[in-house]
Parts: sequence; C-alpha cells; structure tokens
Amino acid sequence: MMDALDPTPDRGGPAQPLLAVKGLVKHFPLKGGLLGRTQAVVRAVDDVEFDVVKGETLGIVGESGCGKSTTARLLMRLLEPNAGTMIFDGEAVGENVQAGGITLREYRRQVQMVFQDSYASLNPRLPIEETIAFAPRIHGLSADESVTRARELLAAVGLAPESFARRYPHELSGGQRQRINIARALALRPKLVILDEPVSALDKSVEAQVLNLLVDLKAEFGLTYVFISHDLNVVQYISDRVLVMYLGEVAEMGPVGAIYDRPAHPYTRALLDSRPSMDPAKRRTKPPLTGDPPNPVNPPSGCRFRTRCGHAEEVCAARKPLMADLGGGHIVSCHMATPGSGHSQAGSLAA
Amino acid sequence: MSAALKTNAPPLVKLRDLHVTFKTRDRTVHAVNGVDLDLAAGEVLCILGESGSGKSVTLRALMKLLPKFAQIKGGIEVNGRDVNAMSNSQLADFRGGEVAMIFQEPMTALDPVFTVGRQIAETVQRHEGVSRATADARALELLELVQIPSAKRRLAAYPHELSGGLRQRAMIAVALACRPKLLLADEPTTALDATVQIQVLLLLRELQEKLDMGVIFVTHDLGVAGEIADKVAVMYAGRVVEEGPVSGLMAGPLHPYAQGLLGATVHPGMRGKRLTTIPGAPPMLDVAPTTCAFSPRCEYAEAACTAGVPALVEASPGRFARCVRVPKGV
Repeated sequence: MMDALDPTPDRGGPAQPLLAVKGLVKHFPLKGGLLGRTQAVVRAVDDVEFDVVKGETLGIVGESGCGKSTTARLLMRLLEPNAGTMIFDGEAVGENVQAGGITLREYRRQVQMVFQDSYASLNPRLPIEETIAFAPRIHGLSADESVTRARELLAAVGLAPESFARRYPHELSGGQRQRINIARALALRPKLVILDEPVSALDKSVEAQVLNLLVDLKAEFGLTYVFISHDLNVVQYISDRVLVMYLGEVAEMGPVGAIYDRPAHPYTRALLDSRPSMDPAKRRTKPPLTGDPPNPVNPPSGCRFRTRCGHAEEVCAARKPLMADLGGGHIVSCHMATPGSGHSQAGSLAA
Repeated sequence: MSAALKTNAPPLVKLRDLHVTFKTRDRTVHAVNGVDLDLAAGEVLCILGESGSGKSVTLRALMKLLPKFAQIKGGIEVNGRDVNAMSNSQLADFRGGEVAMIFQEPMTALDPVFTVGRQIAETVQRHEGVSRATADARALELLELVQIPSAKRRLAAYPHELSGGLRQRAMIAVALACRPKLLLADEPTTALDATVQIQVLLLLRELQEKLDMGVIFVTHDLGVAGEIADKVAVMYAGRVVEEGPVSGLMAGPLHPYAQGLLGATVHPGMRGKRLTTIPGAPPMLDVAPTTCAFSPRCEYAEAACTAGVPALVEASPGRFARCVRVPKGV
C-alpha cells in the first residue's frame, strides 16, 4: 500500500499545466457609515488568468497594492475568490470529487506556502521539529515517522537536526527561521510551493543563502514555484517566466528573457528602469515614473496604468486593452501592442 | 584621516573612536566599537551594513538620540560643536536646526493628529521665531521644494491621507524646514516601492546639491549607495571595515566582507549562476570583538587575523580597509 504521505504521482503529464487559473476575482468591500453598509470596493485582484507550468518558477512582480499577495492567498485558498476557476493538474479545486474535482484538504497538501515574516508564521511555543512534524501528523503519519521526517527536512534545509531540532523560533536568526518555514512547507511533499516575498526581510548575505537553497530544493524534490517579490533582480535570477501585475490586473507575462530584454508594457519598462544602477558613473537623472500607484478602490477606467503612462491617449481611457500575443508565450495588455486598437502607436510593439 | 582633514576646511562631522554600549539588566551589547568618520560640508556618505552592524546606532549618536542606558564614549563633533557635552536646551536647538533626520517609516515619524502643513510650520516657528503666517508661507514653499503636487491643498492633509511616497516627501520637508547643514537619513527609501524609491532618491540628491547639505545616509542596499553616495563606509560588528569613494568600492572592494556583500547582491546577468554567499552569521557582540570580527566567516582567515583588531590602513589615496591582507599603499 502507498504511504499516505508519499509524493503523489504526476497525473496529467508534462504538457498539462500544474495550476491553471482563470478569471480570478477578489474584491474586498469597505464597510462604513452608521449602518455598516458597503461604501466602496477594493478591486484587489480583477480577472487574472495564468498557468503555472510543471517544474517551472513563475515570478510575480508588482508594487504594493497591485494584488500580488492577494493572488498568493487566493492560490492557497486562504481567501475565497469572488469568481474564477482554479484547475490543479486537471482537477477543479474545491469542486465535487465525483465530478473530477480535488478537495481543499487534498489540494492544500499539494500546495504549500512560505510567508515573508518568518517569525509571525511560526508557533513561538513549539520546538521547531514539532512545528515541521505537525502537518504530517495531522495527515496521518505516526508521531515517530513525523519527527523522523522533520529531522530529515531540517538536514535538507541546512540546519543540523541534533543542534536545532529542539530549539524555539526566538532562538534562531531570521535566515534560520525562513529555512524552518521552507522545511515546514515541504513536510507534506507538495508539488507547488507559493513563496510570498520569502527573502525580502533578510539581509543580503542571508538572502543569497536562501535563494541558493530554494534552487537546490527545487531540483531535489521536483518542485514548482510561484515566487512573489517586489525585487526585480531576485525575480530575474530565480524565475523561468514572469508575470507583471498592476492594480489587480496582469500587465505583461512572458519568459524571463523576453520580459527583461524586450519589455513591451510601459509599466514593465518603468519598473525595470527604476532599479538603482549599481554603477555610480551611470546614475539615473530622471525618474521613469512620477507619483505613486493609484488606490485600487477606484481604479482608472480603461487601461489602469494610463494615469502614470507617458503614452496615454484617449483610447486608453475609453477601452480596456486586450491581451496581445507577442509570440513565444509573451503577452501584454496594452493598446500599443494591438494593431487597430485606435492608439497612434498601435501595432508598434507587435512581433 | 580622509580628504576632509587634509584640506583646511573643518569637517562638518568628526567622529573619533566612538563606542556605544547598551547595558540592560539581562544583557550587554557592544553595538559600536570604535568608529572614526569624517564628513566634509556638502558631501554624501553612505554607511552600508547589515542589521546589527551598528550603522543606525552610529547615526543616532550624532544627534544624541540614543536611550539613557546607552553608554557613549568617544568624540562626536558636528559643525565644530561637541554633541556629547550639549545640555537638553542646546540639543533642542541643535536638533532640527543644524541637524535633521529622516526615518524609514514616515507614518511613525509624522504626528497623525496634525496636518502636514502645521507640522512643518511648527518647526519653522520653533527654530526661527517667526510669525505663524510667515511659517505657513514657508511650509508651502517647502512642500513645493520636495515636489509634492498640488502643494497648497496638501498643506491641510493629515499624514494618513497621503500615499507612502508623498508622506516620505512631507517628512523630508519637515527635516529641511530650517535648512540644516547636515541631514541624517536612516533607510528612508527601504519601505518604498521601486518606482517611488528612485523618485525619492533623485529628489534627495537634487535637494542635497541645491542646499549644499552634508548627508549621512544609512542603507543596506548597495544599489541605493551607488545612486546617491560620494563615499561609502562599510560597517561590520560595530566597526568600519572599509571606507572610500563609491566608485572604487563598487568596482573592486578591498575587504573580504565588502567583497562578499557585493557578490551576494543579486544583480542582472547572474541567472543560472550560483550566488556567492557569506557563510555563517554576524557575531553576537555580547563582548566587544578583540580580533577581526569577520575572521570566523572569512575564507582568507589566517593567524594574524586573531592576533588583534586589524588597523584601518590606507590602501590607496582615500581608500581605507581594516584587513591584515590589505597592504598599506604608498
């Protein structure tokens, strides 16, 4: 008999996306006033669609308020989406099993998450080996087996089990705690790991250690990553494909080379140009964008980026751009990329 | 030591053998263990280091903003005045007048119950004794100086009504209200988004040139240092391990820690390559390091490293490093 907690075999084959997300929507009502009625709606994630291919690392970048963390929580089903479907390796998430669905309990065993705040996401009263062993035990492994697995994972993330297993989270450094979080995420042998700003709170030298570890673990355990970050350099380093979000929508998505070498969306270009140059002889002289990202409560009509875009024209306010295909899986939501959209530079970006 | 001393102009900031020790009932932490720094008027110095390196403590010591239980030793001179010897009323004039500071979190640095305009005008009234109307006019000028759009309307805004980037600009306006000679910046762009961070950095650079201020900028981000600094001091375990012009440091750091830091910073073109890391973790600083504090993590460590604290040697004109392997230049 197969152990309840062995990695589950692949089902759909390599061509089937591990996770297919369609029409994902999450709106948060803002209540207020005397009667607590809904005053406004935060459109945190608005009609987002993407696939996560088996074995890849999909990077999601964007500024605060763009919906990247909400997307992470929706993928993990820590939040219930208002609309949209999620298909995990051919099975609809949270749907009836008889109709070919996968239960949330089983889905969450296959999909695990690592958070930015390494301290807040650990139970301060549990020794770390018990933190890691907790989920396997809940999922039916015996206490002994769970602890054995926890110790194996501690070794896998580079922490010697004999000196670390009985320690508490407050006795560890930030980098060590993030390793514990990663070990815990792997305890159920998941296929997909969602990493929400996993290295943003770490010092540079520790960040590099954790990034190397993530690369190693991906190969060792055959994982697929969704890597969320605001750090464009880190995303470029670790991702195979990159999704750029702006105000709850997909602005551009494509292979990492295409996004970084031939960015099509004006927002992607501005983001890339905002990176400090690292070379004092080539300092920036003009900021690529002015102002802050607008509030997602009342996003601009049409293209949501038009209020900060140097190429904005009437059509950008009037109509939402269609997703244009630039070839090779590189898609962009901009009127300039769609021939015949009515923008004076329409088609200038088409491949 | 650095260029500032060789010329005749007195340095704006002169730190000599600064030690800061935090003593509580449970624990003693030797946060700063002998820092010498000079800053000339109109110069931008970046103090670069990881958490716990003592960079923020050094910055706060310059304004005597450390808690009472901190034991401070060494010479702290700003604009020719001994900061350590100042009385409370002298300090009140000094802070915000000659020296101002901006912080990482504008929301906690600004007062949430006063409008932005009032907070700026209050600083002007306190230090320059002008009328309220004059101060209000200055507040408007300052908001325009920091390039806040529709400045007139924003004077009446409370901090929570502004976006993160505008709040940071408002805090800069408060700091610049009395045209300080020295601006201390403690990671002011770390909490901002990429597209906003570059705006604030460029603004600070522009204002620094316009007002000819000396700036000490604390950051952990090499890229930020590359954008704004004239010279850089890299701190580790409470000491400066390397100091010199920013271009030299970025092109070829001398100290193994600075080399490790540069190698561990992810930048474009590193895809597919393994990142170089610095093994281990910084020391605890319960006791002041008596050897090279970096030697336990250093791949080049030798017997001489544990014989004592290496001296800061001038490797080439203007470039200093605290490492036994770096030879003294001629």
